[in-house]
Amino acid sequence: MSSTTTESGFARARRGVAPGGSGTAHGNRKSKLSAQATRTFFWLLLPSVVLLVLIHGYPLIYAAIQATHDGDLLQTGNFVGGQNFATVLTSPAFWKAAQFTLWFTIVGVFGSWLVGLGLALLLRTRIPAGGTFKVLLLLPWVVPIVVSSTAWNWLVATPDSLIPSLFRNLGMGTPLFLADPSLASITVMVFKVWVSFPFMMMMISAALASVDTTVYEAASMDGASRWQQFTQITLPLIARSTYISWILMTIFCVNDFPTIYLLTGGGPVNATTSLVVLAYRTVFQDFATGPGVAIAFLMTMTLVVISVILYRQIRKSSVE
Amino acid sequence: MNASSEQRRSFNRRGFLGLTAAAAAAPLLAACGGGSASQGGGGGGAGGTVKFWDMPWATPAYNDAAKGIAEGFSGANGAKASYQIIQWNNFYQTFSSAIASKTGPAVSTGGGFQAFQFEQQGQIAYADKVIEKLKANGQFDDFLPGVLDPFKSDKGYVAVPWQLDMRVFWYRKSLFEKANVALPTDWPSLLEAGKALKKVGAFGFTTGAGAGNNYANHSMIMMMVNNGGGVWNKDGELDLMNDRNVEAMEFVLELVSNGIVDPAAVSYTTDNMSAQWKDGKAGYGLFQVNVPQRVGDTSGDLLVADPIKGPHGDKATIVFPNNIMMYTNTPSQEASEEFLVYYLGQLKQLWQKKLMSALPVFKSITEIPEFANDPNNVKIVKDWQPIAKTFAAQGSRLNANLAALDGGQALNQFSQTIITGKADAKTALQTFQSGLESVLKK
Repeated sequence: MSSTTTESGFARARRGVAPGGSGTAHGNRKSKLSAQATRTFFWLLLPSVVLLVLIHGYPLIYAAIQATHDGDLLQTGNFVGGQNFATVLTSPAFWKAAQFTLWFTIVGVFGSWLVGLGLALLLRTRIPAGGTFKVLLLLPWVVPIVVSSTAWNWLVATPDSLIPSLFRNLGMGTPLFLADPSLASITVMVFKVWVSFPFMMMMISAALASVDTTVYEAASMDGASRWQQFTQITLPLIARSTYISWILMTIFCVNDFPTIYLLTGGGPVNATTSLVVLAYRTVFQDFATGPGVAIAFLMTMTLVVISVILYRQIRKSSVE
Repeated sequence: MNASSEQRRSFNRRGFLGLTAAAAAAPLLAACGGGSASQGGGGGGAGGTVKFWDMPWATPAYNDAAKGIAEGFSGANGAKASYQIIQWNNFYQTFSSAIASKTGPAVSTGGGFQAFQFEQQGQIAYADKVIEKLKANGQFDDFLPGVLDPFKSDKGYVAVPWQLDMRVFWYRKSLFEKANVALPTDWPSLLEAGKALKKVGAFGFTTGAGAGNNYANHSMIMMMVNNGGGVWNKDGELDLMNDRNVEAMEFVLELVSNGIVDPAAVSYTTDNMSAQWKDGKAGYGLFQVNVPQRVGDTSGDLLVADPIKGPHGDKATIVFPNNIMMYTNTPSQEASEEFLVYYLGQLKQLWQKKLMSALPVFKSITEIPEFANDPNNVKIVKDWQPIAKTFAAQGSRLNANLAALDGGQALNQFSQTIITGKADAKTALQTFQSGLESVLKK
């Protein structure tokens, strides 16, 4: 059988056409069934759709109302149109927070992906007590963020904490990891990578498990180096999972409130204030509901755009 | 459409949703067996059940004791009270949602300025009749001087104070002895003491501005008030750029530049601050009542200092008079008032059991042995309470705008800017003023 015949055979099989059949009569019956099925699916899906609209639609509409009014948590207030959005978009604090959110997301997504990928590849090799290592490596993801942020605080907060003491004893001065704006930003990002890499490791491990090892054997026989195998086989084969994990981690990073708020509160002097922290503080500390919700809206729109771009990459990688 | 009709519309929509949810949930609740009627503020018998919401003001033992007091209430017409703890996390949202859906409390403690926020929205029942009853039973005369005045508005008493969260200077005696320096009595001696403490590895102006820590905010406002300044003028208008404030912040910046403020303080949580006090790194600084118990050092080395004089002879600190408020949504206003009078009459138990980390508002409680045996407590009542002013200083009445000041972004950023020495006093105050103006309700 030629390759063309094979492909058309697969296509016919996917359409449900038997070998030698035209598919026409079956197609008519199918279209009748399909109309019935569509109606059935519609009625079966309706409760879920109604529920979803209620769960997501009402808060979204109410948030839109709040973002266009000058009220507070109790009163809707007066309609102000796009004034809250204008206030937010002309505020230096918003752009500073947006800039930090961008860096936090880039480092959070790719940092955790790189660490997760490295560990997933390492754990794929036969190492003693590999299962125990897997469990231990999951701990940062499993431990409640309140506990891990408290632990990190005690590790770095004061000049006499463990890590600054270590630096001092090594003759490297006494870095103030949470008090210096640049160091605080780096510390928060490192903390985010530490919290998130187990998730990436699990995603990549699952993807790697589905890769047939004979592909590597064949590549080896063809003379491919380890690096070539990694870049030409491993990465393309796990691309779908990689894009999905990037989408999810981007959403996790942009919406991450506790990691930042519990460790630095957004300080010092707003150095680690992300958009979600800014939105929270605007609504619940300044009691300015309209501008705070406007920030949340802008975040959502940005996330949707990023998700769509990455989702297209997934489809592209599937086609390839 | 005016504000009140807009407000009504908002309530109706939320009320409708609450009703729909309740109607949907009713069969489920019935199926679970038992079930109980519930309405906002309470429900139950002829006098109703007064819903009392309380915050975790101290250890869980405090809430157990407060619950015992609340549930011991038995009013006329068979009125009872129920007790519920509300966590501090997102407490304003918790109260707002509950009040909007008519499932809120009839009486509650809460944030220091919460009563004024809800008063603005027509949700607070004025406490004038409670004050009348306190006058009748003698408790009115038992209030410490000046604690009730900040709650009086043009329409009546918005709430009734029940404890005072005071800010006072504490010091570690052994560090002052080691540094061979006298306790500060004014700003120049505070600077000298700070320099001497620095030589023995301690800080002379201990504070913190990390996650959830407002002590740096309070220290800044305290220094302004201690110099006869403050965020507001006597008419309650924003007045941050006055000369006294500039002078106060220039002095704090001098402390910073001399290394008297811990350079890591900007990131200190309250736990980090407590650790600095416990580890002998903090020699002097503003903190709350009961620091030895909080820090875990009851050796007698941590003591309340004397108030200090500003350069113009002013002597003042700040206090947060925590209060109990009544809401208009209640099964019976009489029952709410009766409960509040009853609860205020039982407060002594909480200090007798040593459950509180704040000053009482009643003179009689300051005299009970469990409170008066601690010389730090006695000193605070004698020397600090009479000079304490609220966040409204130099104004005299509390208001809803103070909620946006206390813990708001403008003050946080200002305090962090000052204790890191990132800007001069005038620039920092100007930014603070602009930030505050943008969030204050006109």
